[in-house]
Amino acid sequence: MSRVRSIPRQHLVAGLCLLALVLYPVINPWQPYPQGVMLLGFMLAIQACSWNIISGYAGYISLGHSMFLGLGSYTVAILAIKWGVNPLWLIPLGGVTAVVIALLIGSVVLRTRGHAFVIITIAMLLAAQIFAVNFKGLTQGSDGITLELPFWDRDYQNIPFYYIFLSLLVLTVLFTAWIRRTKFGTGLIAIREDEGKAASIGVNTTRFKIVGYGASAFFIGVAGGVYAYYLTFLNPVGSFAILGSVVIVLAALTGGKGTLYGPVVGAFLVQLTSEAATVYGGGSQTRVLLFGSALVAVVLFMPAGLLPTIEAQWRRRHPVTVEYTDQAGALGHGPATTRERALADVAVQADGQSQGDVLLEVRGVSKRFGGLVAVDNANLTVRKGSITALIGPNGSGKTTLFNLITGGMTADSGEIYFDGQRIDRMKPWERGHLGLGRTFQITRLFKEMTVQENVVAPLPDSRWRTMFADAVSGHEAARARELLDIVGLGRFAGERAGALSYGQQKLVELAQVLMLEPRLILLDEPAGGVNPSLLGRLTGVIRELNERGISFLVVEHNIPLVLELCDPVVVFSRGTPIAEGPPGMIREDPVVLDAYLGDDWRPAPVDDAAKAVRASTHRGVH
Amino acid sequence: MTQLVQALALGLLIGGVYALMASGLALIFGVMRIINIAQGALLILVAMITWWLWRKTGIDPILASVITTPLMFGFGWVLYRFVVSRIRDQSASMSVLLTFGFALVIEGVLNVVAGNRFRSATPSYFEESFRMGGVSLPKTQVYGFIAALVVLAALYLILTRTWTGRAIRATSQNPSGAALVGVGAAGTAALAFALGTATTGVGGSILSVLYPFFPASHYDWISRLLGIVVLGGLGSLPGAMVGALILGLAETLTATYGSLRWSTLVFYLVIMVVLLFRPQGLYGAKLREDAV
Repeated sequence: MSRVRSIPRQHLVAGLCLLALVLYPVINPWQPYPQGVMLLGFMLAIQACSWNIISGYAGYISLGHSMFLGLGSYTVAILAIKWGVNPLWLIPLGGVTAVVIALLIGSVVLRTRGHAFVIITIAMLLAAQIFAVNFKGLTQGSDGITLELPFWDRDYQNIPFYYIFLSLLVLTVLFTAWIRRTKFGTGLIAIREDEGKAASIGVNTTRFKIVGYGASAFFIGVAGGVYAYYLTFLNPVGSFAILGSVVIVLAALTGGKGTLYGPVVGAFLVQLTSEAATVYGGGSQTRVLLFGSALVAVVLFMPAGLLPTIEAQWRRRHPVTVEYTDQAGALGHGPATTRERALADVAVQADGQSQGDVLLEVRGVSKRFGGLVAVDNANLTVRKGSITALIGPNGSGKTTLFNLITGGMTADSGEIYFDGQRIDRMKPWERGHLGLGRTFQITRLFKEMTVQENVVAPLPDSRWRTMFADAVSGHEAARARELLDIVGLGRFAGERAGALSYGQQKLVELAQVLMLEPRLILLDEPAGGVNPSLLGRLTGVIRELNERGISFLVVEHNIPLVLELCDPVVVFSRGTPIAEGPPGMIREDPVVLDAYLGDDWRPAPVDDAAKAVRASTHRGVH
Repeated sequence: MTQLVQALALGLLIGGVYALMASGLALIFGVMRIINIAQGALLILVAMITWWLWRKTGIDPILASVITTPLMFGFGWVLYRFVVSRIRDQSASMSVLLTFGFALVIEGVLNVVAGNRFRSATPSYFEESFRMGGVSLPKTQVYGFIAALVVLAALYLILTRTWTGRAIRATSQNPSGAALVGVGAAGTAALAFALGTATTGVGGSILSVLYPFFPASHYDWISRLLGIVVLGGLGSLPGAMVGALILGLAETLTATYGSLRWSTLVFYLVIMVVLLFRPQGLYGAKLREDAV
């Protein structure tokens, strides 16, 4: 009994529903009509769950997903007639065709970000219809294709289809659940939440999206093959119907896009409502109006969908007490550890002579935004094993330089080398895979993901094995927990990242970067918003990581911290470095005092009182 | 040779009409980053209204745009104020779904009210043509083209010469900057949406004489318009003009020298090729890429 209780409630309910659905034809075998309604519900659920992979997880809305159903139907029907075999043997090929077409379309349109995808999905659905009408030799045009009747007895004709669709539905749900558990799944959600940030933590966003689109096509293609045999007739208008896509979107949206069971629940709601409307309402003429109004209503009044809305209400009634950062835990934690990539550098350093080799080199890099020159012919080197600081007034181009180094932007001119390799033309994730990580000035966590998922999401390399590694349990998750403990947030692993305070989010972002197994970490104002005692821990962590071979480039306005932690210090002004040297030298450099530090930092003047007055007015101005 | 001139002339004429229709889509996207999938359905709605007006009163269908344009301006304003503005804070995908929902509602209402059959407004000059040398230009096409040019010129003047127009352009280039100098984003967005919708007033009236239509033909139209704005660069008005002319020419040339069946496919083909080689379109500006 206790084992049953340990299963999460939602899976328990789903299991019971499945049991009831499996038993239904046994209890009530001679009723083809309700079985027919149910099996169409299963088919819609298969489509909605599949759609959920690209549009729910990755957030790229497809308005043409019913195309894959048509592709599966046509593939199976054409081959069944050509080879003279039963269509059911060929249904996997329906899935294969759908995946191949999805990968082809995806590799054209998903290389870019944003709005092109949704346009393409509509266009391709309509184009498929035109192809099916006009390639008469293959598809018999508008006349359509007629298949042989199923070989089993008419008395129980729907039952085999019922079980086939039900099994396919179970497989689809398991498939989407598995994807959600892998780093591939966390990557897709990361893309939905913040695509630029996802790329910076090693997620090959192009590959993830294309594979996600392909994965979202397979089971629909298979179902399409079965559907063709169920109908025994298919034509272009029926197979590539835009209304088919509408109900997919409507089902997933109603139930809750991005959730596991939402699309299934939504599919049954939509299917049963639509059936009722056809029987009691004005027939199929009014269905467009019905579905359109439903879509508008769901978007306006319940955009999150049914299951998340119910869950949110349940949470409101059963609030969880808020915990604070495990300060003692964080402060008391053992030394921070790193993985092999950084240690390899240490090994090199141990030889003695290579301390101080150049790790990152920026040569003559410039970046303009219209008339504004943000970075102007800048040169910068970061040596292996150093904690280099980059300071300078606001707007001097520090963050832009960070973006150029990590690939968030491309430079207009100049070259950037990382460990001898030229990286300025590489994609952000490729730079991440080389061991280049960064945090952001204003934290960019994936707010809808849990803290643990945030830390698991980064990919240190481009191997497929890493991409499909388990993100929920196993060594990746264990490593994430370990990193969270280092920054003292282990207890928050299950919380939504957006619920954390700003300072806590900064720490999570550091843990996230460490997951990348970096050799160089670019920290953009790490101290901003972190309380003083945790700041002590933060600098401690940075020092420990540095001793273990990780180099740092730090942008920070907290000058005492910079002078204490970093060596060398580079001063940036108007898009280019104006001074570089050990902290002691920088704080006395007149050029730096004029450009950035100001009179507060000028070596002690004769009259202390005058200095105090001057300092206070100075602060007042700022 | 005559055939080529004929095809080019017809392509140019239809391209002008396409330019008008696509300008609304580009305007709305430029200001609000919303792809208004309902633009095609609005065209069909106006075509139906025009057809009905023409049937009841005998008014010239193209001249009927004097009535339909303000009507659609008001409709767009109300639609934005009371519906679209409610999801301003949500992700872009929700706005696509919302406008897709609108398109279906309009199609559904037309299905129920007007029935699912082809219609076409046929004024007296419907089958007449202007003849120049061997080239014959149908009067409907010529009048449609002229009407489209007039409205495009008016739109250009509104956008460049009036405070409202400048506010719209400012918002489309830099919303926070525009807000800083006193341009209210919400009001500007409502006006841009209304203006974008108003272009369907003329566009739909012209459509009613140029092509037979029925409620579900809005899918053909929206895919044409999407092809045009993708080619021109999403949100760019000059891009939409040039894209419309190119696609108008490509369509007529395919229909003349290839086959009518495949001429619609030209649009889909163009979308794919553009996305493959120049994803930002002809006139798409490279925006500042960092999202910090």
